[in-house]
Amino acid sequence: MSKALDPLEVMPVSPHASLTRGALRLWCLLLIVFLWLPIVFLVLFSFEASKTVGFPIPGLTLDWYGELPSNGPLVSAVANSISVALLTAFIGSIVGTMAAFVLVRGGLRFPNGARIVVTLPIMFPGVLIGMGLLIFLAGILKIRLGLGTVVAGHLVLTVPFVVLIVAARLQDFDRRLEWAAADLGASPARTLRHILLPLISPAILAGALLSITLSIDEFVVTFFTVGPQLTLPIYIYTQVKIGVTPEVNAVATLMLIGTVILLGAVALAASQGRRAARALRARIGAT
Amino acid sequence: MAKQSSDGAAVAPSDTGAAPGARSLWASRWPALPAVLGLVLLFLVPMGIVGLYSLWRINNNLQLVTDWSLKNYALFFNNAVYLRTFGKTLLVATLATGVTVGVALPFAYFIVRYLTGAWQRVVLLGVIIPFWSSYLLRAYSWQSILGEKGVVNQALQAIGLISDPITFFNYTNSAVVLVLVYVYLPFAVLAIYASLEKFDFGLLTAAQDLGASPLRAVRHVLLPSIRPGIITACIFVFIPILGEYLTPTLVGGVEGTLIANLIINFQRGGQLPLAAAASFLIAIFVTVLLVVFRRYLRVQAVVGRV
Amino acid sequence: MINRQLSRRDFLKGSAGVGATAFLAACTPSAAGPSGSAAAAPSATVEAGPLNFLTWNDHWNKDALTQAQQLLGITVNVTELSDDPDGIAKMQSVGGQLDIVSLDGSWVPKANDLSLIEPFDINSLAVASQLYSISRTFDIWTTPQGYLAYPWGWSPIVIAYNPKFVSPAPEGWEALIDPKYAKRVVLEDEPFDITLWSGLATGAKDVFDMTDAELAQCKDWLTKLKPNILKFVAQNDGVISALAKEECWLGNQNLGVEERVKKAGGIEVKAIVAKEGTTGFYDGEMTVKAGDNKARVRPYLEFAAQAEWVAQNFIDNGRPLFNEKAYSLLVNAGKKDLADRYFYNQPELALKMRVKGPSTRDADYLNLFNSVFGA
Repeated sequence: MSKALDPLEVMPVSPHASLTRGALRLWCLLLIVFLWLPIVFLVLFSFEASKTVGFPIPGLTLDWYGELPSNGPLVSAVANSISVALLTAFIGSIVGTMAAFVLVRGGLRFPNGARIVVTLPIMFPGVLIGMGLLIFLAGILKIRLGLGTVVAGHLVLTVPFVVLIVAARLQDFDRRLEWAAADLGASPARTLRHILLPLISPAILAGALLSITLSIDEFVVTFFTVGPQLTLPIYIYTQVKIGVTPEVNAVATLMLIGTVILLGAVALAASQGRRAARALRARIGAT
Repeated sequence: MAKQSSDGAAVAPSDTGAAPGARSLWASRWPALPAVLGLVLLFLVPMGIVGLYSLWRINNNLQLVTDWSLKNYALFFNNAVYLRTFGKTLLVATLATGVTVGVALPFAYFIVRYLTGAWQRVVLLGVIIPFWSSYLLRAYSWQSILGEKGVVNQALQAIGLISDPITFFNYTNSAVVLVLVYVYLPFAVLAIYASLEKFDFGLLTAAQDLGASPLRAVRHVLLPSIRPGIITACIFVFIPILGEYLTPTLVGGVEGTLIANLIINFQRGGQLPLAAAASFLIAIFVTVLLVVFRRYLRVQAVVGRV
Repeated sequence: MINRQLSRRDFLKGSAGVGATAFLAACTPSAAGPSGSAAAAPSATVEAGPLNFLTWNDHWNKDALTQAQQLLGITVNVTELSDDPDGIAKMQSVGGQLDIVSLDGSWVPKANDLSLIEPFDINSLAVASQLYSISRTFDIWTTPQGYLAYPWGWSPIVIAYNPKFVSPAPEGWEALIDPKYAKRVVLEDEPFDITLWSGLATGAKDVFDMTDAELAQCKDWLTKLKPNILKFVAQNDGVISALAKEECWLGNQNLGVEERVKKAGGIEVKAIVAKEGTTGFYDGEMTVKAGDNKARVRPYLEFAAQAEWVAQNFIDNGRPLFNEKAYSLLVNAGKKDLADRYFYNQPELALKMRVKGPSTRDADYLNLFNSVFGA
């Protein structure tokens, strides 16, 4: 997105403009601090040389990071959370993308109604969804609770996001690109693979990443659908009751770093994707 | 950019062209099958079952009895406390939404108006990344910042500004609102950002050229045209708060109790029908809100940005 | 979990001079393990899934679970129980996915009435010979088909207080509603029990079967209690941590709260049994009828209920347990004072408490509680 230099920036129209601007800048700064303050403490506590998180901090240490690999339950909780999140994102982005096509192009009679139904799982209280899944899956279908049912629960929460994000992208999509490809003799399948998917892939990616985020941090629905396994939020919750140890903060810090790296990689891939898309568009000759 | 309706949510008329005969219907709709199956089996059917539960009861032997009645709902409406708790939940949600949106608005305005493309992305990342770390730990972190023995109190006491700790945020309603604002702020910023981005700031200048004061220009030109974004932000903050029980549990204590906490009490006490009825009422309320504000459910604007 | 490890280390450090060989033997992985386990091991290592255990946080030792895995090949998955009715509801909903579940007092026969558990001949377990005989013959746990649960521990609910802030020393439940202690009380999130206490405090005739008039009095009392409650916590270790951090000055607890708070934060707390009477529990482990791996319950108990582990658990949690042999280990380890202070040697007291159980009006009790603690 290349924004032309705002003429107002060059030539303030009112004497108050620079004052307003300064005040807004301060406001922005304050909010960033507000958003990051707990994160800063979360990370700081992970280096704390006492066994309870919080103040006072008697000294700093890296021991908690060292002890991580030997904490069996915590390690398995992290592993479970990551596998659930990846599986959820994988299944969810396929299922959700397919549904998005129908939502936008399926000629539905009540598209807005469909959209509301799709939005419901995002907006309903987690307690309600969890309770429903527990009664239906375990109580009625007699399905064993486990990571499988957790994935099922997380799909309920995340697929709607994928559908709506991809649908929005499809809505904005310039169909002349497809028609051009068809005119040039491309089969529908080829058009899909070489034109459509590359152009909507940023949206699919955004949906998948969001699914990962939501899944990894989901507590309420997991609590109802999980079997005897632990996931990270459930582990943390049991710790919150008795006093979180810095070990948990150490895990959270590592995961945050992992996230930032992942985000960076995705941003890079996305910008390459955009460049490729632009090239593609240029080649086909559409605007 | 392709043609776009004023609010991204309204669906453009289908341009499949072909007359939707049975065959082509199938051809154009089969890809939704897995999602529809999932939606039905994992969402609609479970909700239906919870709906049935809400009409049944649990006997003294903790067994489900399938007597049909509306008693569970009546209990809710006949007891002032439940209604009051629901009212309080609405109030807390309204307050948190107001604060969140009020805080996010100038923030988003600043980003769009005064920052270049690269900086915009950096600041937006700064808004999104905190949302990527454990919610439970962030809430816990707030406790150690604002709690009775938290860093703020210790610092103020150390410099002698106060002698007794400030308990304003120690398991109170204010703590609940603060943490809710914190949790939902990124959504509001992103939703408002998305609509500001499309705003032509030249209009503001034009208004001022025509003699409007800057404030008037903002009120009568800017705000109306970003109204969809603001409403989207409100929906995405307000509605999820109605079912919140973790935040009140972790930072609100008894004072911070919201309606979902009472539901959890029923559920843990084995009284599923009562829990079902109360949560169904919230669900109905949410559904009504979604139908009323259907034009503003622009999920992509809120979370579609990486 | 770390708390637990540290406290064990502390204990070992403190008792090294006294000669706690029995404990060392039990706690060192290289030790052969308690006698019963060797015999049980071969039969248990057959192909089977993990043992799924729904229980409270103080019913198991981390090291015992590790060794059960190493020596017997039994992986134990522990999930936490929030309240007795929750335990019943879980057993009803998840079917075979639970093998062994703990419940209190007359909730145990309730589970049996619902055909959720399997009675067994307690005397057929070798480890049961270590139990006080009284715990093998509780009336409410005895049925023609067998005994309903393997007894674990007991305690009256006591009121713990921090003498630095709470004076005069409280005598009964009314201390909890003293306006002096606004937002200084933390209780376990067990709406039933809290309603029962309000019944005791207001002199209800039978707290498990209160009349509407009595419930109305409970409501008044709970209404006075409300401004004093800072928060409800999910398990009793939450109360310990709140007391230790001086977040609260009063809380409900089991026997042994003094030691646990000291371990958690080093401050002094005291505990009393309310003069109006209190509820209490004796609890035990039940075999779930539908459990997929219920065959592993017996070998697990034979191993993890051994006196050495039980004694260690007493050191960690400080409320009396039913294993008599563990008492003699404690005495030998120089912990007689501690054990006697918490009535370890007087299991008959367990029968004198008003034991936790379902009321005749569960939904009404919950509704009452919610009506007060809503907004």
